[in-house]
Amino acid sequence: MNHDLIKILIKRFISSVLILFFLISFLFILLRIAPGDPTQRYISPGLSPQLAEKVKVSFNLDRSVQEQYLSFVKNFFSGDLGVSYSFHTSVTNVLFEFLPFTISFSLIAFFFQFSLGLLLAVFAYKNRSKKYLDGFISGTNMFLYAVPSFVSGVFLIYLFSVKLELLPSSGIKNITSVTSDFGELLFDYLTHLILPVICLALAGTPVYFKYFRDNIEQNYNKLYVRYLRSNGVTENVILYKHVIPNAISPIISYAGVDLGMLFSSVLITEVIFSLPGMGRLAVGAILDRDFPLVVGCALSAGTLMIITNFIADIIKFKIDKRLINGVLN
Amino acid sequence: MIKKIFQIKYIIIVLSVCLIISRFGLLCQTAVLARQYISLIMSDFITATVQTDFQLIDCFFSALLLVILPIIVIIGGKRIKLLKAVSWQATALVVFVFAFIFAPVITNENPDFQKNLSVTRLLSPLSSVKVLHLKEKKEDNNPLNDFLKTKSRVVKSSFDESILFCNSITVKKNNLEVRQNETNIEVMLNDVEIKNGEPVLTTKLFFLGTDEYGRDVFTRLIYGVRISLTIGFCSVIISLLIGVVFGFITGIKGGFTDIIISRITEMFLSFPLIFFVILILALFGNSIFTVIFVLGFSGWMSLLKIVKGETVALRNKDYFITAQQLGLSKKQLLIKEALPVMLAPIIVNTVFQLGNVILAESALSFLGLGVGAEYPSWGGMLQSGQENISRAWQLLAFPGMMIVTTLLTANKFGRELSKYYNPGFGE
Repeated sequence: MNHDLIKILIKRFISSVLILFFLISFLFILLRIAPGDPTQRYISPGLSPQLAEKVKVSFNLDRSVQEQYLSFVKNFFSGDLGVSYSFHTSVTNVLFEFLPFTISFSLIAFFFQFSLGLLLAVFAYKNRSKKYLDGFISGTNMFLYAVPSFVSGVFLIYLFSVKLELLPSSGIKNITSVTSDFGELLFDYLTHLILPVICLALAGTPVYFKYFRDNIEQNYNKLYVRYLRSNGVTENVILYKHVIPNAISPIISYAGVDLGMLFSSVLITEVIFSLPGMGRLAVGAILDRDFPLVVGCALSAGTLMIITNFIADIIKFKIDKRLINGVLN
Repeated sequence: MIKKIFQIKYIIIVLSVCLIISRFGLLCQTAVLARQYISLIMSDFITATVQTDFQLIDCFFSALLLVILPIIVIIGGKRIKLLKAVSWQATALVVFVFAFIFAPVITNENPDFQKNLSVTRLLSPLSSVKVLHLKEKKEDNNPLNDFLKTKSRVVKSSFDESILFCNSITVKKNNLEVRQNETNIEVMLNDVEIKNGEPVLTTKLFFLGTDEYGRDVFTRLIYGVRISLTIGFCSVIISLLIGVVFGFITGIKGGFTDIIISRITEMFLSFPLIFFVILILALFGNSIFTVIFVLGFSGWMSLLKIVKGETVALRNKDYFITAQQLGLSKKQLLIKEALPVMLAPIIVNTVFQLGNVILAESALSFLGLGVGAEYPSWGGMLQSGQENISRAWQLLAFPGMMIVTTLLTANKFGRELSKYYNPGFGE
């Protein structure tokens, strides 16, 4: 069995590298056909023509397109993404400064989306006989599904920061506070994260709720539940030991894709709440025309996506061993 | 009986009759304008072509359609089978379509109209300001001047020299003191239009308030429907073309083409496209056309998969093979044999895609990368609302409501359609 797993992992790894390669080629084509001259930032009208020519040579623009492409790919795989125009350090450094926040923030939000969706689905299923409650939850769910995160975000800020003045509306920590006490610092971070996490949870929970609700219902209609019931297993055991694990496993592959998407769709939330994450970095870089940084952001988003898919696949194979044979054959 | 009253065609009739009654004066003036325009074409063709622009035709078209629409619905109402039962989402759809087609009749204001910022800036809903009318220049009565005069009443421009917004006025000996919040300005009494010895002073109501440039929120919301739906439909058509054509080709050919296109589709599906969208918009500049193309080119994947799957299933059917053997070309095969079969899933997918595109457009506008400042867009309004969050709740609530209603309607319709085409599915 382990041997099979390794085979699949290698297969997946090769296809991921291929996708990354496609991605780089696509980015290269985009940057090549885009209007404008990348050297323009460094050439002022006062510069002598010889010096301007030198700048062009230092950008490798005197070489042929194929050579440029090769060096682009080579630089990427050796981890050299160039120098950011606005930060004046290498792009990798800038990314490593901003990535940890985005990753931890997305993971927190993802945890809330997943668990809230599951809890609500179980709650709604248990109360399915009360028509009004089930209908209310489903209706609210359907409504929240149609509320995009930037609408709910500004409403949360308006309600909690402007009207009630309960929670801070932007940033990750209080600018005026100078405390170094760990507890206070943590409290500061947490109060700043409440609204963004609620905003993301509102956007993601309905989807998970819908999936879980449908899956739990489907599983309850299956024969094994009837068999367990007739053997006298209690309802709680059926639900927690049999139905929920069976309901989760098909959702994991969706969750993997969703988490990967979350790393980039967190962008809008970061802009609304002006959090120091990768999304805001990317938007700022795009608005400043800082192209090396833009490419770096796009590539790291793609890489994160591939990694999460990879992990989701592994978890899926761990849960359901039959899938391995399905993929291999 | 009650069911009969609550039919969609009656809603259409009631809405259009209400519009006609409330905008009767405008419609009459449009008719006058049309007469003058035709006589201008007869007498002076070149001047008429110079005066013809999109807004003028838009006004004529919407006024004409508004009058014709109830008649068409009454006569042909029995034939329209779809959307017979009324629900809130069908009503919302009718309202959206009305706002899309009849925008100039509904508001009769330019979405970019701004004047006297110190008075009109960030007004809350249902607030009104006073309007002082200045004297218009006397011009001799020739057909062209008459036409221009009527045109300025029907087709509103983004500026108006003949009015002044103010809070109050005080009459002095031979001039007028006009109060505009912090500043006072003096206006000669001769310049002001006077009736019964008093300067003419009317009030103007801003139904949903104004934004930070003193522009009417209601008008911008109505014109925002146009932008959202235009971008939505155009980019959905692009994705539809790409998805259907390439899906059909991959489905029919198979082999190497299938592998290549499937890999590319997977790559697009597995990558967070918002980065690409933003990157392309930043590289090529954001205008309405780039937004349409980028959103169109980032939404074809699911359609391609659907069409490919259907085509593969179709390939082995007898009638399809017969049609192939008869020598139909690929184009004929697609249009005559394949499309009618897979119309249902395509329509369902397209409706969902429309919702997604409208959402994406407002998100881009919210980030400042949308259609740009020259078009009123809901996302852009929401962004300016966030900038003035403590003073302008109307800029948050109403655009947000519009976006949510649009998405709810699109989602609901998608679900209803898929239920209609696959009865019993998902029960």
